[in-house]
Amino acid sequence: MPIEVIMPKVDMDMAKGKIVTWHVSEGDTVTKGEPLFDIETDKAAMEVEAADSGILHHAVPEGTDVPIGKPVAWLYAEGEEVGDPPAGLAPAEPDAPAVKDDPAPRADAPRPGATRREPDAGEKQRATPRARALARDGGVDIDAIAGTGPRGRVQAGDVAALLDRGPAQLGAATFRAETGPLSVTRSKGGTGTPVVMIHGFASDATSWAPLEAHLKHRPVIRIDLPGHGKSPKLKVASFAALLQEVRRTFDDLNLDQAHLIGHSLGGALALGIADTRARGIASLTLIAPAGLGPDIDGAALSGICRASRAESLGPWLRRLVADEDIITDSYVRLAMAGRSDPNLRAAQSAMADTLFPDGVQAVDLRAALDRLTPPARIIWGKRDAIIPWRHALRAPGRVALHLFDGIGHMPQIECAEEVGVLLRSQI
Amino acid sequence: MADAATDTNTPYAIRTYSPQRLKDALHKMFLIRKFEEGAEDSYTRGLIHGTMHLSIGQEASAVGSCMSLSDEDKITSTHRGHGHCVAKDADLGKMFAEFFGKETGYCKGRGGSMHIADPSRGNLGANGIVGGGLPIAVGAALSAKRLGTGAVTVCFFGDGANNEGAFHESLNMAAVWKLPVVFVCENNRYGMSTSTARSTAVKQIAERAAAYSMPGVTVDGNDFSAVTEAVDAAVARARRGEGPSLVENMTYRWRGHSKSDRNRYRTKEEIAEWMERDPIVAMSKLLVDHKILTEAEVGALEEDAARIIREAIDFAAASPDPKIEEATRDVYTEGAAA
Amino acid sequence: MNAQTRTEMRELSYAEAIREAMDIALASDDRVILMGEDIGVYGGAFQVTGDLVEKYGTDRVMDTPISELGGAGVAVGAALTGLKPIFEFQFSDFAALAMEQIVNQAAKVRYMLGGSVSVPLVMRFPAGSGTGAAAQHSQSIEAWLGHVPGLKVVQPSTPEDVKGMLLAALEDPDPVMIFEHKILYKMKGHVPEGHYTTPIGKAAIRRAGKDLTIVATSLMVHKALAAAETLGPEGIDVEVIDLRTIRPMDRETVLASVRKTGRLICVYEGVKTLGVGAEISAMVAESDAFDFLDAPIVRLGGAECPIPYNPELEKAVVPQVPDILDAARNLAEGRI
Repeated sequence: MPIEVIMPKVDMDMAKGKIVTWHVSEGDTVTKGEPLFDIETDKAAMEVEAADSGILHHAVPEGTDVPIGKPVAWLYAEGEEVGDPPAGLAPAEPDAPAVKDDPAPRADAPRPGATRREPDAGEKQRATPRARALARDGGVDIDAIAGTGPRGRVQAGDVAALLDRGPAQLGAATFRAETGPLSVTRSKGGTGTPVVMIHGFASDATSWAPLEAHLKHRPVIRIDLPGHGKSPKLKVASFAALLQEVRRTFDDLNLDQAHLIGHSLGGALALGIADTRARGIASLTLIAPAGLGPDIDGAALSGICRASRAESLGPWLRRLVADEDIITDSYVRLAMAGRSDPNLRAAQSAMADTLFPDGVQAVDLRAALDRLTPPARIIWGKRDAIIPWRHALRAPGRVALHLFDGIGHMPQIECAEEVGVLLRSQI
Repeated sequence: MADAATDTNTPYAIRTYSPQRLKDALHKMFLIRKFEEGAEDSYTRGLIHGTMHLSIGQEASAVGSCMSLSDEDKITSTHRGHGHCVAKDADLGKMFAEFFGKETGYCKGRGGSMHIADPSRGNLGANGIVGGGLPIAVGAALSAKRLGTGAVTVCFFGDGANNEGAFHESLNMAAVWKLPVVFVCENNRYGMSTSTARSTAVKQIAERAAAYSMPGVTVDGNDFSAVTEAVDAAVARARRGEGPSLVENMTYRWRGHSKSDRNRYRTKEEIAEWMERDPIVAMSKLLVDHKILTEAEVGALEEDAARIIREAIDFAAASPDPKIEEATRDVYTEGAAA
Repeated sequence: MNAQTRTEMRELSYAEAIREAMDIALASDDRVILMGEDIGVYGGAFQVTGDLVEKYGTDRVMDTPISELGGAGVAVGAALTGLKPIFEFQFSDFAALAMEQIVNQAAKVRYMLGGSVSVPLVMRFPAGSGTGAAAQHSQSIEAWLGHVPGLKVVQPSTPEDVKGMLLAALEDPDPVMIFEHKILYKMKGHVPEGHYTTPIGKAAIRRAGKDLTIVATSLMVHKALAAAETLGPEGIDVEVIDLRTIRPMDRETVLASVRKTGRLICVYEGVKTLGVGAEISAMVAESDAFDFLDAPIVRLGGAECPIPYNPELEKAVVPQVPDILDAARNLAEGRI
């Protein structure tokens, strides 16, 4: 029985999507988790990963509009007979609720590329009865506590430790911790030295899409930070611990040479990796990097983490860019949909509290920048409201500076083409 | 009458028992018949929610087997046990109240038809398990022997029970230990639908007695005097310390096994033939023939029995139900250790 | 004081303690009789009745035929009519032959008759594995009987308790089933002299601890205690409760311990599924003590198979000390 691949619903207003590109050719094998196709709606474009493994058949032609939930292709098992498309079958989620007028993102809406229901993101917190009783008596929300027991179970000790810390610490800094490796995704195609990309705080790997369009000649590898995108929500005790986790992921890629690109917090991490893995770094690109000075807009960070709906997220997102018009309402709603998991927000809050306590950059990598040996460049927008672009001026002479007027904290999006052309010439 | 007491042509019962006891015996047989008919009628009217096993046609066996027993003597009974209770002088009102599931019943509504007992009269109870009462009767006889009470236990069971292991184990132990117990088999020819011919290797169940080295006799269970003669002899033997006996009363139940019985295993002719041999008609004739009762007096006895049963049913119907919150009472002895 | 000191010092085996209890009962109450297979001159299959027949005669120490159903029924009938029989099954497994009389008669007569009678019957069941007697002579069937309202079911684990509980059973107006683990028969321990009773329905805390509770029955109590001694130096402070009675179960002692420790292991030899541990677990889960659980409840019971003959297999299918150690460490160290 072939497995149906459907047009996923990725935006609340979305009724249909256009297949822009197939990353896998008809008759080729795709492995679960690999990019399968790109879609475009009137609001957004995104890459869809394969939800299952199999041999691709009956793929609709690129450029075709397909209603959500309808099949766009079928995955066959090895040796399975391929006949006519198994048409006429109902969408995989006939009981998926209509969400057109639903004001809040739904955790149970089909995920991109999903052909069957995934575990509910709103799964109940694992906690022992005693922990629940303690939390109840102590007025603590059990769902906001990171459990240290098996499978992240909250035990009495976890609640007791929290109560010992006092009520001021409750809430923002607590989340349900997970374990496991960080998510790594790869583009199809490209040759030569791969490009490894590390996104910024409160973002994820998909934010690189506009820039990637200009780097198709190289294999692109993206790492999702802990508590971001598809990565597990790890407990992160310090910047050093975070760097260790990301560096381990980088090491596991087993690359002889890599071009490393990091944005914001990802920039600080890229710098940290380059500091210790200098021989493997073909070039380093830091876009509005953290770690070069104490100032940062803590209100924006916590505002983004706190926002539980598009209305509260929008103003903070607009602060990220110089031209607020590029942050449309639908862009905000899409971004919020990706942040609908309260545990993800809690995990990011906890990370912000650790890395940027009281709205200050606790990590100082200026010495690392001074030590840097691989070719490096810093790209910054001179209207960055999150981290002052003047931090770039700390750089030693051998580091190139590319400063863009009228651009905010997101040059890779705000002026993707200019940045892309710049990078393509050197990567 | 003095002559009759010694004349061996005179039936045993007439020779042995006073006219009053014989009248009482017939009265009890009427009570059993009217009880069963009253139970059937009540069931039809929806007053009884459980099933029942009626002993209409077996009255001579029940009453005749208990003639020489006192309140100290014990009986164990069967699922078809209403007659045994009446024979052992049970209170009809309490019996019906139990049947109706009332708090005033013998078992306070917890037991129902199959568990009516009256320990104060030596009735250790009916039993819902075929053969269940056999070892218990042997235990009661063991107590009597051990405690020196002189009591005898009459153990009623049906032909069906004779193929249970408990029957054989019980007869064997009673014989080995020479216990004062009389095994009274009421052979009504069918264990539910299965006839003794199809289920039992011996022709008469009394033959089984030989295997356990005890006397075994088969009598016409519808003949009051014959039953009395055989059981009395066995009881006397037990009282003398000579051990157990087996008496087989050949009889017939007019009704089906229980209310679910569709009577597919017997012919109408067979049933009619046995109804011709009505033990109550026979007993009435015996007493009239021996000038103990007139026809009119027999009619008056029957009328009186019917009145008692009506009153018993009225008492039961007017009695309170048990309290739901007391459903778990009497599982254990109140105030007992632990 | 001297006499008392001597009493404190006195040790008997578990079998001797049972015999002493029966001796006291036979001597003090004419209504008491012993019934069972080969309990007379043979002295019982496990030499528990021993020479009692010489002292009390065959009328009171009665060898029954090999008739478990009939024998049990005779005991029921005798108990109903004035005697106090102590009925010995040669092996608890053979009780399967007598289930009708135990379950349908002894347990229910009082209730069925509206409370007008009682059945002061004691039955003894040599139970358990470890003797190489295989599947039909090694079972632990106490949970079968524990499921029957009207019966009381006890599993004494020490010589002192078995004597006290047997004497308590004789004072009890209702049928009491005593399961005696065969491996315990030779175990020696302090046994007070004379008549005393150990309450039915009351558990005993054999070792106090704060980190986790082990509720064990019969032989498993000793295995749990051995495990607790090993775990103590590792920093795992185990409370061991000897349940002693599985019906009626001592709720309060178990719940109080779980409220204290928050962790519970049930150890019993009967088949794990639908067994004593299930009842203990459910009792905790249904009570306020649930709120105090800080880890899942663990049951260690017999494997889902008959008791095998091969000695290594036989050991493997019932909980052993290393199994208890593993479970306790996993629980205390947060691995389960």
